[in-house]
Amino acid sequence: MFHPEIENGFLGNVSIVGMIIAEIILVLFSWFFIFYSVKAFLEARSKEFAILLHLGMERKQLSKLIFLETLLLGTVSIVVGILFGYAFSRFFFMIVREILILEELPLYFSWEPFLLTITVYLSAFILISILSVYVTPEKNLIDLFKGYSEVNGNHQYSIPRAIIGMVCIAIGYILALLTSRMTMYSFGIAVIILITIGTYLFFSDTTHFILDRIRSKKHLYWKKYRMLSVAEQSMIMKSNSKMFFVVTMVTALAFLCVGLLATLSSYTSQYDKMNPLGLIYKGHTDNPYEYSHITSIMRELEEKGLSYHMASLEVRKQTSSYTRYEVEVFSESDINNLLFSYGYPFVRLEQGEGMFIPYSEESINQLNDINVETVLIENNVNITIDKVYPKVIFPSSIISLNSIIVSDEDFRLLKNPYHGASSDVEPGYHLFAFDIPQWIETKDVGLSIAYRVSQEYLKEEYRLPFYFENAGLNFSFLLSTYSLFTLVGLLVAAVFLLAAGSFIYFKLHTSLELEKKKFDVLKRMGLTDQELKRLINAYLVPQFFIPLGVALLHSLFAFVALQNLLKHIANISIVKELVLAFVFLVIIEVIYFYLIRWRYITHVRDS
Amino acid sequence: MPILKIQDVTKVYEGKVTHRAINQLSFDVMKGEFLAVMGPSGSGKTTLLNLISTIDKPTTGEIIVNEIRPSKLNKHELALFRRRELGFVFQDFNLLPMLTVEENIVLPLTLDGKPVSLMEERVRELAEKLDLTSFLQKKPNEISGGQAQRTAIARALIHEPTLILADEPTGNLDSNNSREVLELLSTINKEKNATIVMVTHDPIAASYCDRVLFIKDGEFFNEIYRDDRRQTFFQRILNVLSLLGGGNVGDLSSIRLP
Repeated sequence: MFHPEIENGFLGNVSIVGMIIAEIILVLFSWFFIFYSVKAFLEARSKEFAILLHLGMERKQLSKLIFLETLLLGTVSIVVGILFGYAFSRFFFMIVREILILEELPLYFSWEPFLLTITVYLSAFILISILSVYVTPEKNLIDLFKGYSEVNGNHQYSIPRAIIGMVCIAIGYILALLTSRMTMYSFGIAVIILITIGTYLFFSDTTHFILDRIRSKKHLYWKKYRMLSVAEQSMIMKSNSKMFFVVTMVTALAFLCVGLLATLSSYTSQYDKMNPLGLIYKGHTDNPYEYSHITSIMRELEEKGLSYHMASLEVRKQTSSYTRYEVEVFSESDINNLLFSYGYPFVRLEQGEGMFIPYSEESINQLNDINVETVLIENNVNITIDKVYPKVIFPSSIISLNSIIVSDEDFRLLKNPYHGASSDVEPGYHLFAFDIPQWIETKDVGLSIAYRVSQEYLKEEYRLPFYFENAGLNFSFLLSTYSLFTLVGLLVAAVFLLAAGSFIYFKLHTSLELEKKKFDVLKRMGLTDQELKRLINAYLVPQFFIPLGVALLHSLFAFVALQNLLKHIANISIVKELVLAFVFLVIIEVIYFYLIRWRYITHVRDS
Repeated sequence: MPILKIQDVTKVYEGKVTHRAINQLSFDVMKGEFLAVMGPSGSGKTTLLNLISTIDKPTTGEIIVNEIRPSKLNKHELALFRRRELGFVFQDFNLLPMLTVEENIVLPLTLDGKPVSLMEERVRELAEKLDLTSFLQKKPNEISGGQAQRTAIARALIHEPTLILADEPTGNLDSNNSREVLELLSTINKEKNATIVMVTHDPIAASYCDRVLFIKDGEFFNEIYRDDRRQTFFQRILNVLSLLGGGNVGDLSSIRLP
């Protein structure tokens, strides 16, 4: 974030703000995470503390010990983390450069990030070590000796609450499906509240209700290791329902992050389709700069070694008798000239025929159904328009919504200029369309013209006699902003996802002693290795994948809603990207699961 | 007919200090016998029990249970062997906290995939005999120590094992519950003709048995058989214990022993 090139570069303020927000989220979350992990490890070591206290250590001394230990660990981890971070920053910069399509992002050294990291995390460790000492309630020595025990959860569920939980989730889902643009805010908030409550009740009551149902059916339940695993699950659910709730919500958040990013990336990837042209220069018929600008653009393109095809189009404005509004008229041969460079099919029009030019993918279908007979009033030319060109030729910012193609014969008849409502409206314009195959690389072409255009936009009225659009430049803006979001969002999502897994791991770690004892009993009773593995699977899989599954379901509905919204706003489909992103996340989670399972099995076998 | 044969078993723990836990120990246990193994702390009682329960393997020598040599079995067969032939009663009960009493009892049968009707039948039978009916649906942390140990005994009996191994079954119980549990074990021994090997260092517990085997430093020391009266049997056990030197009665004679 402190990188001078990024700060001073052309990445707008938006991305900087986004990065800062992401950073704050990350820091807050990592604080919480450190606190949780420190607490979990202290809990696991309670026996050791009990021995120390038993030997006559004062409470104050113990606090000091814990404080110093945490601080020492914290310092070491900060130092190691910074070293690793710095070592990998080169790699990271490479990725950033690749995404942002920057020329270069030199490795730099400044003390600010280091100072920031050190202060943030050192203070976190100090705060957490103090907190973890004072927040832990004064337990009796005897309880400490017994260590962490899970057998305290005598949680009662209630059937009404169990049902309310399911109903809440169901209503939330239905609302999400019904959400339209009108009801976005009210429904959105309602959905979030309903889903949150529903999820909480789902874990605190509904799961117990279901498990209890299973337990009452002996034929299902008393079968091999199933009894053990079901009983175990209900035990885990009882004592850890809050944790499952948090994990689910965090995972859902991670999914939403990634899904949103996937949406954005699909928007950028479909940019190409919406903007078929590389460079577009639009000027008034009497534009004094026309010649110099066009030659300079062409020269720049040649210097860059980019092949291009330029089509110059003359556009005449006329008034249509049908709508009484202005209509922009293109000639058949001009359009065909451009279509030739696209490689699109040509237009063939007879005299008196016309064809709509679509301004978006959606408009193609709309215009297809319209059949208009109109007269271009100024020159009294009759035109029948019953066709639409089946592809988007111009980006919507260039042409008006009312654009038609007419045959060359008709176009030649349009001698009298447009006389609209006011006299200062131009009677037409010249359009220079540059079709460039490597359009992404044109971002440095015509910078001075683009600069003047963007300066003019800031003024109240647009007075320049020309307009210039550089798809490559726009794309690089778009790409850099969104890909920065993508990068930051992916980081956040990865942290969330790993954290969600780690919560479960810590929980496993603290109850490991108890579990070891249990498996010891079972082994004595005669549990084959195969059964042991199956039992561990049955023990771990629900813990990992129930929250994941619920989170997946939540985000699925969220994205169905989002897709509905997007259909109204922009015509993009997010299904493919979403599926990819989700599959990726699930694969990560599965790998993580196998890692933890492997650790767990070795732990249990050791005993 | 001996159901358990221990033949010249030696167990050496290798480590920085080599430790000979069991040394050249041999004895037989007949079918339907109730045997107590006694000895001071560190005499190798628990090691012996671990060897019999096939958790551990002897360094040399052979253990034969019901004509089966566990040393010849692979891991999988060993697990099945333990599941079908052996029943365990532990000092701290080791009931699984998430299962109810009833579920704890049927656990060995569920692992073996037996039909539910058979399990229900056996549970009903045992619950009556051991007086468990009143708390069958409770969790282990809601019942008393005596009840927990009775549950553990029911769990050890439900699959009708060849051999029941008990490791200090009265170690965590008060005198009333101890007596109850011991009487229960001896009734089961008589009525069902179950073979029980119990490790203990409580002479009262040992006095309920048919025979008491004393070991010291992993070697056979002495054995005595019960007579008609438990009181005199108890006295004789005490005498051997005092001879052992690690006994509960302060006897000067032990000092002279090497």
